[in-house]
Amino acid sequence: MGHIQLNNICKSFGSTEVLKNIDLEIQDGEFLILIGPSGCGKSTLMNLIAGLEDITSGEIVIGGSDVSDKSPKDRDIAMVFQSYALYPTMSVGRNISFGLEMRKVPKAKREKIVAEVAELLQINHLLDRKPGQLSGGQRQRVAMGRALARSPKAFLFDEPLSNLDAKLRVEMRTEIKKLHQRLGTTIVYVTHDQVEAMTLADRIAVLKDGVVQQLGTPYEIYNDPVNHFVADFMGSPGMNFVECVVFNDKLIIESASKSYQLAVPCAKAIKDSGLESVLLGIRPEMLTDPKPYDDSGFVQEVCFDVEVVEPMGADTVAIGKWNDTEVQVRLSPESGEVAGEGFTLQVDTSKSIIFDPRSGNRIR
Amino acid sequence: MLNLLEKHLPKIVIAPTTVAMIVCMYGFILWTGLLSFTKSRMMPQWDFVGFEQYVRLFDNPRWHIALDNLFIFIFLFIAISLVLGLLLAIFLDQRIRNEGAIRTIYLYPMAISFIVTGTAWKWILNPGLGIEKLLRDMGFVDFEFRWLVDPDMAIYTIVIAAVWQSSGFVMAMFLAGLRGVDDNLTKAAKIDGASAIRLYWHIILPIMRPVFFSAIVILTHIAIKSFDLVQALTGGGPGYASDLPANFMYTFAFNRAQMGVGAASAMIMLFGVLAVLIPYLYSELREKKS
Amino acid sequence: MNLKMLSGISLGRVAIYLILIVFALLYLAPLYVMLTTSLKDIEEIRSGNLLALPNDPTFYAWIKAWSSACTGSECNGLAPFFWNSVKIVVPAVLISTVVGAFNGYVLAKWKFKGSELLFGALLFGCFIPFQVILLPMAILLAKLGLANTVSGLVLVHVIYGVAFTTLFFRNYYVGIPTELVRAAQLDGAGFLNIFRHVFLPLSTPIFVVTIIWQFTQIWNDFLFGVVYSGPGTQPITVALNNLVNTSIGGKEYNVDMAAAIIAALPTLFVYVVAGKYFVRGLTAGAVKG
Repeated sequence: MGHIQLNNICKSFGSTEVLKNIDLEIQDGEFLILIGPSGCGKSTLMNLIAGLEDITSGEIVIGGSDVSDKSPKDRDIAMVFQSYALYPTMSVGRNISFGLEMRKVPKAKREKIVAEVAELLQINHLLDRKPGQLSGGQRQRVAMGRALARSPKAFLFDEPLSNLDAKLRVEMRTEIKKLHQRLGTTIVYVTHDQVEAMTLADRIAVLKDGVVQQLGTPYEIYNDPVNHFVADFMGSPGMNFVECVVFNDKLIIESASKSYQLAVPCAKAIKDSGLESVLLGIRPEMLTDPKPYDDSGFVQEVCFDVEVVEPMGADTVAIGKWNDTEVQVRLSPESGEVAGEGFTLQVDTSKSIIFDPRSGNRIR
Repeated sequence: MLNLLEKHLPKIVIAPTTVAMIVCMYGFILWTGLLSFTKSRMMPQWDFVGFEQYVRLFDNPRWHIALDNLFIFIFLFIAISLVLGLLLAIFLDQRIRNEGAIRTIYLYPMAISFIVTGTAWKWILNPGLGIEKLLRDMGFVDFEFRWLVDPDMAIYTIVIAAVWQSSGFVMAMFLAGLRGVDDNLTKAAKIDGASAIRLYWHIILPIMRPVFFSAIVILTHIAIKSFDLVQALTGGGPGYASDLPANFMYTFAFNRAQMGVGAASAMIMLFGVLAVLIPYLYSELREKKS
Repeated sequence: MNLKMLSGISLGRVAIYLILIVFALLYLAPLYVMLTTSLKDIEEIRSGNLLALPNDPTFYAWIKAWSSACTGSECNGLAPFFWNSVKIVVPAVLISTVVGAFNGYVLAKWKFKGSELLFGALLFGCFIPFQVILLPMAILLAKLGLANTVSGLVLVHVIYGVAFTTLFFRNYYVGIPTELVRAAQLDGAGFLNIFRHVFLPLSTPIFVVTIIWQFTQIWNDFLFGVVYSGPGTQPITVALNNLVNTSIGGKEYNVDMAAAIIAALPTLFVYVVAGKYFVRGLTAGAVKG
């Protein structure tokens, strides 16, 4: 039912191409996240799926039927907006039932559905209020209620949590995930927050400049990014990138005025590429205080000069330099490292990835 | 079919206005423009005579008086209204008690028709029984105030009445502008030790530049269109000493059966408005883009 | 230093209050003079002075101005013309406001290719001096058989008022989030339903502003009135002007003043009751683009 297929979608505003040849297939019941920096076209793509804007070329198929030329109301999808877009003059109850009213659902049935939705979202006590009298979190719930009431083929969420404060955002995130598990309806969700993407998605599509860079599970996106952009975009603190000279299948780094040779997994590919220097990508959690490990040949210890220490509670991020490039490492809070001093850092390159420094593409 | 209707409904809704606008604004302007090149008198007719009507217009001393009056009127009306409006706005912006009531008093003339304003001031400025008599009764036996019947001074009575009517509005515009000035700015200036006068002169007034522009454009626009006030206050008199172009146009087009000249004078008025409006809109648009 | 500064400050404030009050009196003076003059008899006007209160207030002038003063060759007072104005104002205000509301809705939320240009062209209509359309409009009205009729005046006021009403509504609706339209579209509402259920309930303030603005404009109009009306259909402004300029049997300044107040009363009343909206209309109509 809620299967959405985008075939070769293009969208231009005047002479600017906002989306270029987008091909995406969203399975029935899937939670797909569209993520990317602002201006990447993710919101436009969502509007195209909703029918709020016309596609320039391509085809949109929802639930087996081509809806490319259909108006939003005939696509049977619901949307939750960033600003919630609740009708300010209507009560919460009428906000939720308005879509049913427009679709000429009888009053008795409407009331029943509103009651069910309100129960589900725990907003029964708010039904007679106006949106202006609600808190941010309550508005968020009402906006979701409005979408739920029509039991559409798919939900579209356009950065729904970005207007909430940090604590509430985490709460609502869990709430949305629970809701999806319970209803099993297809969700397309736009965000620029990579934590939201990681926690919620079945699959993530990373967009940049109107092109899908990578489509994959959160695990794939995080651990196996296809290019420098995706690797850089996902993760917080972000992946470290250090340009290194290649020597005998190994990468040379200079840390705390000493030189080290790092073994990396894709040595052969680096050799085949013939590049003299490559970009090493390594996540901060692979740079830690020394601890026991299984020797895979990719772990070694290097000296590290700490310039800045940033305690984050659960762990502590220390910043220093490799090859004159800033590197963030993730230490246990008990390690007690101090800025201006050096210590021994354990480096695990087993999950490091290598990029062509010019194109940003993976070498593998 | 229904979908198609729905899709085009916005255009259908706005179509009557579009047609009316094209015909009754731009079409009519064109029509008047064309007419000004014909020798129409009583009735429109389409013998084109080039710029003859414009030549006749500018040969007409009455038109020159109307133009001179307009320049006097525009200059004084705008200058006085701006200064008065700005001062009153600044004074009113000093956390005045009963500000609302005072504002209401300053602004009420704007709700009144120019005809009523003209009628009232015609009585107040009446040479025999108005202000002149008032001051003579107070002991200034030789006081004379006969601007209303003095061909050289009649235009100034129109300035007085127009300022009375419109300066409150200018005050309201400036007051709105002052209220829009960021509070932190005045605080910062006070911390920097700026005096009140410096604060207004160097900081607040430059910020209010757009308000000045808007006010000038609106007042110019009111001035060029002024017709009713003259009609009610002086009737253009004595003789035609206080005519403005709008009154000239009306007299020649409708009372004197000189359609061609009337049309020509109307076009000149249009160009006058455009000369003020276009630079204004241009700068507005440029500001919006940048 | 405190004492000196304190006295300096309060002296300044006294001066400010003084200036503000003097000007308030100056602005009020004409109204006061009109009112007192209208309540005096002509003898008192000739002998007394402008600012004096009436010795023996009489409504003679008011009654005459309303029902028997001469406005040209007829002597039925302002009453018939007052009702003419009502007959012109009511339909013209209603029609131009409703049309403006729909136009503004389209131009703000249903933009199409060329709609911005259309808006610009319409905006320009707020500024043209009407002298430039007076002649052709007279001919059009004659062709339509509407010359010298109330309907003709209504038509003229609607046509040239729509530019303003559209501007008002458009600028108001631009401030309403477009996401509301989108949400309603997804909810299955179309152009008219979105207007009715979402925009109309939000529009009360702008309706008040627009209606007041149009009411004031049309009630106070003189130019269209004097050009397009005939003897039986003149609006009150034209009649007032005729009344003042008719001098059969000596000038009666008290009747002039009573007539002027009668002509001003409806708009003054609106101003006093809904001044806030009146000012909003003035600034919106004047400044915004």
